[in-house]
Amino acid sequence: MKYIVIGAIALLVLFVIAQYNRLIRLNITVDEAFAQIEVQLKRRADLIPNLVETVKGYAQHEQGTLDAVIQARAKATSATTIADVAAADGALTNALKGLLAVAEAYPDLKASANFLSLQEELSTTENKVSFARQFYNDNVRSLNTAVKTIPTSFFAGFAKVGARDFYEVENPTDRNVPNVKF
Amino acid sequence: MAENNFRALQSANKGKTYFLLASMGALTWLVAYAALTYFGAGTTSTIVPMAVGFALIGVWGSYYGSDKLVLTMTGAKLITREDAPELFNVIEEVVIASGLPMPKVAIVEDSAPNAFATGRNPEHALIAFTTRILEVMDRDELQGVIAHEMSHVANRDTLVSAVAATTAGAIAILSDFLTRMMWFGGGRRDRNENQNPVALVVSLLVLILAPIAAMLLKSAISRKRESLADATAVSFTRNPAGLRKALEVLASDTTVVQQKSNAVAHIWIESPLDGHTVSKMFSTHPPIQERIATLRAMESLGQNES
Repeated sequence: MKYIVIGAIALLVLFVIAQYNRLIRLNITVDEAFAQIEVQLKRRADLIPNLVETVKGYAQHEQGTLDAVIQARAKATSATTIADVAAADGALTNALKGLLAVAEAYPDLKASANFLSLQEELSTTENKVSFARQFYNDNVRSLNTAVKTIPTSFFAGFAKVGARDFYEVENPTDRNVPNVKF
Repeated sequence: MAENNFRALQSANKGKTYFLLASMGALTWLVAYAALTYFGAGTTSTIVPMAVGFALIGVWGSYYGSDKLVLTMTGAKLITREDAPELFNVIEEVVIASGLPMPKVAIVEDSAPNAFATGRNPEHALIAFTTRILEVMDRDELQGVIAHEMSHVANRDTLVSAVAATTAGAIAILSDFLTRMMWFGGGRRDRNENQNPVALVVSLLVLILAPIAAMLLKSAISRKRESLADATAVSFTRNPAGLRKALEVLASDTTVVQQKSNAVAHIWIESPLDGHTVSKMFSTHPPIQERIATLRAMESLGQNES
């Protein structure tokens, strides 16, 4: 009888440890995933001055588009909370799309080796940013599920692990109805 | 059609692999039992551990050193970022999407488009591409192929196929040993005299047929892992169209990788052998048209996936 009780307690302790560790591990993964987003956002921000200079050399009349990119970049580099970072990230993505669309009208610019390599760098970084977001959101999803479902939910308070915010890019153009003119 | 999203496909294919691996285990047990019936406990207790031991030694080495071994067997050369910056960019994208460490990257000089992944764990992963696949595929297609290969890494398919190869190998060695012993009349010294003749015939049949059954199971496991890798690839890129187009390119291309070594056939994304195999049941990959159709079905519900 005594051994059964000891065995049951040992199993219970192991169970608690496993649940606790699972929560901590999920939480750390979410932190790492967010750090990855920041690394990629930083990379993109570092590419922009070079891109702006290159475009300026060929397309002097597009000051408005260039200013929009520079402003969006400034906002993106100063944001701190997840919601702010995500909003600024979305705005910068749009501004860059505008800049690349403008570049289409300048054949010399499009043909320049510097621009081509910047374009490749920018598109891979853009992909990396979006995969980093996706990886972060997937991990937040697992963490939040664990925090809210039994049995892990019992240990969330004890492990000081709570539900985290999703990284939602507010992309204003996504929700707009396309403007069709006849 | 909820059964067609990548999460459902992933768990279905995982479930099927577990079932097949369990069947392999059951088959080994059946062979051991047949040996026991036919030869008695004395012979069986030495032969079975020996066969498993031989198979383990044979497979373990190639599993543990898989990244280096495959390099020499396929003639692949390791490359660095400077050799192919764009390829590395796309690989890094998939690495971020998968959350895995960066694998080693290699190139095989070959005029057929193909790719493979190997390595005993994600830390020792290696993915390789033929020179041709880099020429014929655009960025999205390449991303799909890389995601498929990284999925093999994520799902630890080198380990799964090593386990399958060990059991199939053990069964083959066992049945080879025992059938030889029958022909030379040895080994039945410790036979129980009041043996049921039906049991003897059945165990003889099991010993003869088991290696074929093991081969079939091994191929089935390989096919399920391919389907699983396709589903996992979509979970990484959320873009079934990229991999689907890549498979279409591979399907329309009639050239095959020059080296047709059986030993490494299963690791390529498109099988170099299946064109010639006797039957669908022995092939290491699902039919490419079937894979394309599955991905196409995922595309139609892609809009609902976040």
